[in-house]
Amino acid sequence: MSEADTDAIATGTPDQRLHPWSWLFVLLQQLRQFIVPLLVLMFAGRGDHDAWPYAEYAEYAPLAGVLALVVVSMLQYFTYRYRIGAEGISIRSGLLQRNLREIPFTRIHNVGVHQSLLHRLFGVAEVRLESAGGNKPEGQMRVLGLQQALALEQLVRHHGSGAATTTGIAERPDGAAPAGQADGRTLLSMPLGEVVRMGLVSNRGMLVVAAAAGLVAQASPERMMGNWLEQQVRGAAGYAEQLHLGWLGMASAALVLVAVAMAAIRLLSVALALSQYYGFRLIQTQGRLVVERGLFARLRTSVAPRRIQAWYQQETLLHRWFGRRALRIDTATGGGENDPRKLRELAPIATPAACEALFVHLLPGVQWPPAAWQGVPRRCWWRLFASSVPWTVLLVAVLWWHLGPWSLLAALWLPWSAYAAWQQAGRLGYVVDARLLAVRGGWWSRWWRMAELDKVQALQLQRSPLDRLLGTASLWLDTAGAGPLSPPLRIRFLPHAEARALHARLGRVLAARRMRW
Amino acid sequence: MTDSPDLLPPDLPRIDQTGGWQPLPRRGALLYAAATGLTLGVSIGLGLGVAVSVVFDLERLRTILVVAALVLLAGAAFGVFRHRRIGWKLDADGFATRRGGLWWSETLVPVSRVQHLDLERGPLERRLGLATLVVHTAGTRMAAVKLPLLGFADAERLREHLARQVATDDAL
Repeated sequence: MSEADTDAIATGTPDQRLHPWSWLFVLLQQLRQFIVPLLVLMFAGRGDHDAWPYAEYAEYAPLAGVLALVVVSMLQYFTYRYRIGAEGISIRSGLLQRNLREIPFTRIHNVGVHQSLLHRLFGVAEVRLESAGGNKPEGQMRVLGLQQALALEQLVRHHGSGAATTTGIAERPDGAAPAGQADGRTLLSMPLGEVVRMGLVSNRGMLVVAAAAGLVAQASPERMMGNWLEQQVRGAAGYAEQLHLGWLGMASAALVLVAVAMAAIRLLSVALALSQYYGFRLIQTQGRLVVERGLFARLRTSVAPRRIQAWYQQETLLHRWFGRRALRIDTATGGGENDPRKLRELAPIATPAACEALFVHLLPGVQWPPAAWQGVPRRCWWRLFASSVPWTVLLVAVLWWHLGPWSLLAALWLPWSAYAAWQQAGRLGYVVDARLLAVRGGWWSRWWRMAELDKVQALQLQRSPLDRLLGTASLWLDTAGAGPLSPPLRIRFLPHAEARALHARLGRVLAARRMRW
Repeated sequence: MTDSPDLLPPDLPRIDQTGGWQPLPRRGALLYAAATGLTLGVSIGLGLGVAVSVVFDLERLRTILVVAALVLLAGAAFGVFRHRRIGWKLDADGFATRRGGLWWSETLVPVSRVQHLDLERGPLERRLGLATLVVHTAGTRMAAVKLPLLGFADAERLREHLARQVATDDAL
């Protein structure tokens, strides 16, 4: 992008356009969506030509489809315009159905700049403007020249933080240096070792393998996958028999095989973590939090600290072995749970001290870690235990079918899970003070959920028949943008009177306070 | 954010200090019972009917119909019971609903957290002079708190009160 264009954004006069190459990226996006129908067309076009008189033309159907998509992409480029005003951004798009969208700066919760490998080759970037709620971004510029994108991001950030100045753009370091490197304060950066640790802790590799297996099983014709697996297993068994390994040898060979597979999956996890989190930096600049990461595809998202709805600290067993933790946040902006463009992780992996320091830094004045956690009566441990019993019984029943009395070995899990439940019950706890509400739990895999009282949207008191019998209740607290993967903000097994009192107290506090977005 | 009396419309139900839970009008009970009965009758009754006819080797169609009808009746009775347990309350803290006999729950939406409100009325609800009030929050699990079969006048008043509160809040 030329210097003239960035100047134009600063003064906010004329309409802005997307990058001339943008049609290519729109096309690629659409191809990704239509890839299945196109493939079906391609393969359906082959086959018996006698069935239909014009069948030979069917071969051109995919080509026609792609051409249509090219035309659509070009049209989008020619019809998409945006303009920066004093109060917000207005976007005009569409050819037949004209669409004008106004996005006030104050409603933009998140600005995301995303650069895939291809984007980097062309020197462009994708910009997303997100407000609260909804599944789609409020505004999406696919794609802008890198300089233009950075200038836009800068501008929105300036306006969002209240400092309505547009002078910062002139001071921007030009060239490929990403914004935010010159100014701002780095709160956390992950050196290579940390990224590798993160890969080892995470289970991404397993997820990918499972997803791939599922895809192959679905895509391949019936039984092909099963037959192939059976052949492989038979082949391996035959080979093992030839080696005359004996029972012990076979068992150890199987163990080695499993170990190798697990190591390979962990390696895959590390590779994935490297590609996604290499060069991770959390920066605070102009009152916003900015996260940069990625090896091939560079990604930068930002969020204002006051837009954080709730917090989540996680410490699995593996985390603890490495002496690490993860700190995540909920934001109210749209996008799926797995959308990589959503700012979810403030510290993908860091020492417990660093996580806690980060939390306190972003919520200055909170009492953290709390002086004392309010526990729940430990006698509730058997209710945690009871919820796991049916699964163990089911497992034993299924194994009995195959193994007979040996399956009772699986029942040995019961005493262990009883012990785990006892430990978990001891760690359940909550804290409510004038500003913050926190819940913790878990024993092997520990978690903490924190939310400011101002961010709590609704309260619910629940009692199951068992609760009534035992005189307990659960208190649920609802915040915006809570992901399904993090534990809910709820206090379980509270004595009924205590739960009632807390419910009433929180209700009064919330009623007296305005919600701050 | 104080709930000063002059903010309230004159005909708003006074806040009852002794608890203040308001029941739903009884005329909606039949509708609620019918809905519960039909849902249970179709979802559980048909499956149960097939199972019974197979296990006891009875005539298929008649058994299914009888079992489904029995489940429907039981569901309707359960619906009447549940309908009686639904209540709502509006006080200085906000808008609260409670429901459920066995699995009991009470939800509180502080007035300052109301995002927007819906008033829904199906044809049957219109005939009975009832309405469904939906209170939307920015939350996740409790993004929409629904109160069905509310008296239409009550629903209107509640909506007016909550909407006015939202407006005064935003004006602050």
